[in-house]
This record gives sequence, structure tokens and C-alpha cells, in this order.
Amino acid sequence: MLKVANFSFGIGEKEILFDVSFAIPKGAYLSILGPNGAGKSTLLKCLLRLHEKGNSEGSIEVAGRPIESYGQKELATLISYVPQAGGWIPPFTIVELAKLSRFPYSSRLSSLTRKDLAAVDRALELTGLGPMRERPLKTLSGGERQKAYLAAALAQETPIMLLDEPMSFLDPHHTSDLEKLLINLSQDEGLTMVSVTHDLNHPFKSGGYALILKSGRALFFGEVEGLLRSGILETAFNHEFVHLSHPVTGRPVILAE
Amino acid sequence: MSSMGKLSLVILGSLLIFLASPFFGLSVISPEHIFQEGHPDAELFWRLRAPRAVAAFFAGAGLSLSGMVFQALFRNPLATPFTLGVSSGASFGASVYFYLGGTFLIRLGGVGPLAASLVGAALSMTLVWAITRIKGGFSTVIMLLAGVVINFFFSSLVLFVQYLSDSHDSLRIMHWLMGSLAGLETARLADLAFVVIAGLAMIVFMASEIDLLTAGEEIAASRGVKVSAVKLKIFIAASVMVGSVVSLAGPIGFVGLMVPHACRLTLGWSHRLLTPAVFFTGGCFLVLCDLASRIVLAPAEIPIGIVTSMLGGPFFLWTLFRSQKTGDLF
Repeated sequence: MLKVANFSFGIGEKEILFDVSFAIPKGAYLSILGPNGAGKSTLLKCLLRLHEKGNSEGSIEVAGRPIESYGQKELATLISYVPQAGGWIPPFTIVELAKLSRFPYSSRLSSLTRKDLAAVDRALELTGLGPMRERPLKTLSGGERQKAYLAAALAQETPIMLLDEPMSFLDPHHTSDLEKLLINLSQDEGLTMVSVTHDLNHPFKSGGYALILKSGRALFFGEVEGLLRSGILETAFNHEFVHLSHPVTGRPVILAE
Repeated sequence: MSSMGKLSLVILGSLLIFLASPFFGLSVISPEHIFQEGHPDAELFWRLRAPRAVAAFFAGAGLSLSGMVFQALFRNPLATPFTLGVSSGASFGASVYFYLGGTFLIRLGGVGPLAASLVGAALSMTLVWAITRIKGGFSTVIMLLAGVVINFFFSSLVLFVQYLSDSHDSLRIMHWLMGSLAGLETARLADLAFVVIAGLAMIVFMASEIDLLTAGEEIAASRGVKVSAVKLKIFIAASVMVGSVVSLAGPIGFVGLMVPHACRLTLGWSHRLLTPAVFFTGGCFLVLCDLASRIVLAPAEIPIGIVTSMLGGPFFLWTLFRSQKTGDLF
């Protein structure tokens, strides 16, 4: 579904990504890990084709075609994006933001069709935001706002969803809530998810694949179990970790020393 | 009341004020006189007041629409044609024209100030654009800072041109800089109306893209908006509107700040609704300011730029304090 081959990227003299390669099938969950400044967000932006002016080498293929061969609107029918809840808050209500996500399917000046409205309703239902749909994003808590962004991306009805540190501003309750929602969506809806995260335990909950970036290079790519191989996380983060098993679920748990 | 209801009221109210305004001034004109050929009131109405109301309407609409899109584009409530340097660029162009027009007898006819303002606006816009580009990408913060710098730069160039001019040209430039609809050429009204209506059409056509840009550039791009191309188009459309208004009436300040804010408070952020509301409210607002400028010290006339700035200063501060209180910039 998504294939990145020998991809390098830089802006001006500054090289950010070097020779990154990975490929994931339809419906897979990919967690992108790495220390700050490793190039995770840049990679996400390249997958969104947000970096128009940088110099790139190598290729990115989406659904079997080079990413450059898509028009911006056509690409938006394949890839949606969930930004971080921090920072700029759009001056819209939950439902207004979700309706804006129907842009790739709508023609200019025409209003939304019944199909568009159904997609918006379904997205709000899946995220449990239906009852509060008219609330402005500014009045929401961080967790609710992150769900609103997720609902907006769902309303776009794309097979691939990119998420930029979706849990970073959330308390443990909202983190767990959102994690479950993402994992269910990936499994039930067959969505291909690519999520940048700082939570080393997230990949073990979501399953699927993990990619570790360090200084712009892919240090590791493979199924998440591979992260447990000795020394990989330690090399990536220059830090010691303790590997445990969750006493209830038996899932691997990584603790920072 | 529904949003459509509010919009209909705004449009209806604005049209009524626009149609009624030429009847008022130093003397009140009776409606029955305006169709009586040869009647002095008919002359006053059709030759002076009606064209002036039309000029005020389109100037107000153009400045307000420019302010609206600049604020959406930069996601900053203080982004206006002034803070971005576009109007000072246009003012510089027109000042140079007045100066050279007097000394080297450049003859461009009535389109001279328009052409010179547009060149000035284009120059400032290109500089702001280039500075932003050199710093990489299309950063909103850098663009606003570049706008502020270019604004100061061109403002000082205007003063320099004024310093070089003889007393007649200097006075002309100073009067023009205050912003005034007095003594404007009726022939240029069609140019202004054409530019503002074309700008309006373009903004309406791109309303969804502007909404998405307001939501954030990454969100916009991921929903299928060609961010850089759309920003460039909107920036050019708004700058051409500002250049046209400035060439006719001088730099009339604060309209682009006040009107879009007032409309957003009532109608929210959807540019499909907001754009027609800002067009009509902006037009009607400047028509009222023009009326005030003619009546308050009658028979003397206050330059309209002074009226809008007197209202705009306190409004600007209110916006600033409100932004700080709500913890965000809108």
C-alpha cells in the first residue's frame, strides 16, 4: 500500500532523511519511532507531499503509483492526516472541520451531497463525538480535540491515515482511550495507519510494523517484535531500557532506566 | 436566527444604507427631485454623491475582502493590507507618480495613479514574497515580519519623496495619504468596481480552500489543497484590490481589520457565508464613514482615512486585548 525506497530528502544544504526504505501492506499499522530531530515528522510531511521545495531522491509509492503522479486532490482520496492537538486550533466546530474533509470529493460552489454528510456522520459516530458535534474545537479538552481531528480524517474516507504524535498531549486516560480507538479502526475498518509516536509501548499494543529513525536514517524496520532484539532501542535513543512483560496481558513493556 | 437569515439581513441592511446615503450630506435631497432634469439636487445627486457612494462602497468592500483573506491566510487577526506592507507599497508608487508627474511631465492620463499604485503594491508584495522564500518555505511568521519591515521601508520612502517634492506636490501627497474620496475621477470608478468584483468572484470560488487554509496548512494540503499555489493566487488578488483602492482614495486604514472581525463575530468562519457578508458590510461601512466625513465638520470635509483611523485605533486595541484574554489570536 505504501512503499518508500532509498528515499533521501533535504532542504537547501540541510540533509534530513538518508536512504530510508520500507514497505507496508494494506491494513497494516506502522509506528514510527526515534529521538527528537530524527526526521519522523519530515518523513510524514514527505508522505503528505507537503515539502514541495526540498530536494529528494529515491521514490515513494502509494497504492502502486509514484506519489508525484497524483494530483493533490487525488492523493487526498488516498491519504488523510491527523495533526497534533497542540498548537494552532482551527476556529471551527467539530462537524465543520469534518465537513471540510470532503473537499477532495466535492466540486467548487456545490454544497455537500448526501454521501458526504453520511461520511461525516459515520466519522463522528465512530469516534463517539456525535452528541457534541456542534462544539467549537477551542472549547474541547486536548483528548476531545485529538478525537475531532481523527474524526475529520475519517470523514475523508481514505485507505491510509497518517498520525503525528496523536497521544503526545493526552493524559493516561485519554491516551488509552485514543489508542484503543486507533487500533480498532485499523482492525475493523482495514485502515493502513502510519503513526509517529514517542511512546515505546505503543507499537506492542498496535502490533504490525515499526520503523526507527535516527539522524535521518532507518535504524530498524520490521515487525514490532523485532524491537525487542537486544540493543536496538538502546542504540536508537542512547539510553538504557528494561524489557518486562505486562503482568495481566503478557505484552512486552519497555521501561526507561 | 440561522446563518442564512443573518446574511440576508446584512445584505439587505447594507443595500438600504448604500442607496439612502447619497440623499444625505450638507443638504438633504428629496427623492422626488432626483429625476427632474436640470434640478440642482438632481445634478448634486447624480454627478457628485452617487458616484462617491459607489466609490466608497467598492473601496470599503475591496479593503475588507483583502483584510479577510490576509487574516485567513496568515491565521492572524492583525494581518491587514497595512501590516503586510501592500498599502505602503501602493502609496509609494502613487507618491512617485505625483512627484514625477509634476517634474518630468509623465503623462499616463487618469490611469497613472492606478498603474503606479499597482506597481508599488507589486514591488512590496514581491519583496515580502522573496524575503519569505529566501528564509525557506512559506512561513507565516516570517511573512508577517517581512510585511512589517517592508511597510516601514516604503513608508519612509514616501516621506523621502515628499521631502524631495515642492510644496504643491508635497501638499498633494500629504492630502492623498490621509485617504480621501473627495475629487475622485468618476471614470476610474469602473476600474475599481471591476477589480473588486473580480476579486470577490475569485474569493467565492476558492472559499473552501480558504476555509481549509484557516484550519492549518498541513490539514489543507492533506485535504487536497495546493497550498502554495492557492496562497499566491489569493495574495495577488488581495494585493491588486488594495492597489486599486489606494490609487483612487489613498491608504484608508483599519477597514480591513474592523469589518472582517465584526462579520466573523456574527457569522463564524465559513468563507462561503463570510465573503458576501464582508463585501456588503465593508462597502456599507465606508459609505457611512464617508457620510460622517462630509457631515461632522460641514461644510468642511474630514479626509475619510482620518475617520476610519479614529474608529480603528480603539478597535485594534480591543482586538489585541481580546486575543490575549481568550489565549489565542482570533
